[in-house]
Amino acid sequence: MTVVLLWPLGYAAYLSTFDYYLGSREMRFVGLANYAQLLSETRLWQSLWTTIVIALGSVGVEFALGFVLAFALYRLTFSVRVFMILLFLPHIITPVVATLFLKWILTSNWGLVDATLMTFNIGPPDWLGDPVWAKICVILADAWIFTPFVMLVLYAALQALDQAQIEAASIDGADSWRLIRHIILPSLVPVIVFTVSVRLMDVFRFFDSVYVLTGGGPGTATETITMYTYQLGFQLLQVGKSSALGIITLIIVAAIIATFSHILQRSYGRSG
Amino acid sequence: MKTRRLARMRNQTLLFVALTIFTFVNLVPLIWAALTSVKNPADAFTIPPTIFFQPTIEYHREVWLDRGFVRYLINSLIVSAGTVLISVPIGSLAAYGLSRMPQRRAAPILFGLFTIRMFPHMLLAIPFFVMGSFLNMIDTYPLLILALVAINQPFTIWLMYSFFLDIPRDLDEAAAIDGCNLWQTFRIVILPLVRPGLTVAALFSLLLSYNEFLFALVLTGIKTKTLPVAIASFGGEDVSDWSISAAGAIGIMLPIVVIMLFVQRHLVRGLTIGAVKG
Repeated sequence: MTVVLLWPLGYAAYLSTFDYYLGSREMRFVGLANYAQLLSETRLWQSLWTTIVIALGSVGVEFALGFVLAFALYRLTFSVRVFMILLFLPHIITPVVATLFLKWILTSNWGLVDATLMTFNIGPPDWLGDPVWAKICVILADAWIFTPFVMLVLYAALQALDQAQIEAASIDGADSWRLIRHIILPSLVPVIVFTVSVRLMDVFRFFDSVYVLTGGGPGTATETITMYTYQLGFQLLQVGKSSALGIITLIIVAAIIATFSHILQRSYGRSG
Repeated sequence: MKTRRLARMRNQTLLFVALTIFTFVNLVPLIWAALTSVKNPADAFTIPPTIFFQPTIEYHREVWLDRGFVRYLINSLIVSAGTVLISVPIGSLAAYGLSRMPQRRAAPILFGLFTIRMFPHMLLAIPFFVMGSFLNMIDTYPLLILALVAINQPFTIWLMYSFFLDIPRDLDEAAAIDGCNLWQTFRIVILPLVRPGLTVAALFSLLLSYNEFLFALVLTGIKTKTLPVAIASFGGEDVSDWSISAAGAIGIMLPIVVIMLFVQRHLVRGLTIGAVKG
């Protein structure tokens, strides 16, 4: 099992040290030259920056919204399950399909948003054609698909909370806000840290939505690091270089995992 | 006392209304696509958008029959079924082994699996693609199934592990005393008890392979193209094809909704595996 997964990884590392175009028979060993070349490219740093902006933006939206929804569902005493299913739909449908739904809404002139705005004589921006709006759209697309996930995790965590503590606090006269601030949020810290790290790692393999929504465009405005890897490997067929980029991504992700598992251990250590 | 109950009822109603509004707005893109899929082009391109129109199912028929989506559906089903049939048995065997190990030995393996689950898929796609082209296996089912098994396996192991853990070890011991060997214990005693787990693992694996896009995009061709790849290359650009691609997208979505109704009770467990229990 481990072999099945580690073998491609080793092979990728091996490929990354060659100057190799798919289709040509020639493989030239270049050592770490691919890495050196990539790290000196502005395109790489730009795509890394885009990834970080999208990651922070979407994870922020997902948590703010996800927590409000989870708390609302937690407080609601009836028809919770129906809401759960309906709210969960965007997460469970095929990401490509979900993104297409959004794209149809946002398409210039004919999309629902534009058509509605134009009815009121408001000239809408070119959602997917403007570099800034395109980034915002990608963030919203990610948020649309993944907020339900965050919501569900937080909801599950809320239900696992110690009820006695909450009751005691409300008898002592704590209002909802204080309850959230001093009792609920602190006890959710491990879950939140965990979910944030999972989502951050997900963003580094975030591909479907960008591919369908903007294809990395306009220009390279929404080109994430994964998208760039794809372009290198499967459009330009520079297999060696794109493997090297993949390895770089892996190192970044590993660093994130390490940081968060460290934080997680510390926060667990403190609470128990 | 009575005023408090009234206040409570008012709060609940407000909450309910707010959630209803949010849910509706949140689902607008989906509803819009569903409406588009049954509209004639004349109704689809109006400003302001029409809400009342003469519905037609012409496009649903056209996309599946005339545009070859049935073919892609069959591809998707073959790939998904293959993935489930390989990864669930392997997953449950591995998970059973892990759950019967001392915690100290199992923990690093589980953590390793978890890390693998977090790999950037792109990194795995490249070697699979290069390997596939060396072996001349691009555009065949086994290659895509193998790749999907590889990315899905950590998940099935984790999920089944959590189900096996719930079964007390005393049962194993009792079975052993009654003369079962290890395989018989697993097959006759333990496995039937985790049947719900197996169902959930199978359905989630099915979902993953049905929804997967990246591997399907780079490892398939004309013969084995799956539904997500088909709709992605099809939809979008040409506005006049909107109704047809919307019909395709809605069609792709429907089986998932059905599956979701089946797994909804286990949704939390399947999707947050490891998140809440730590």
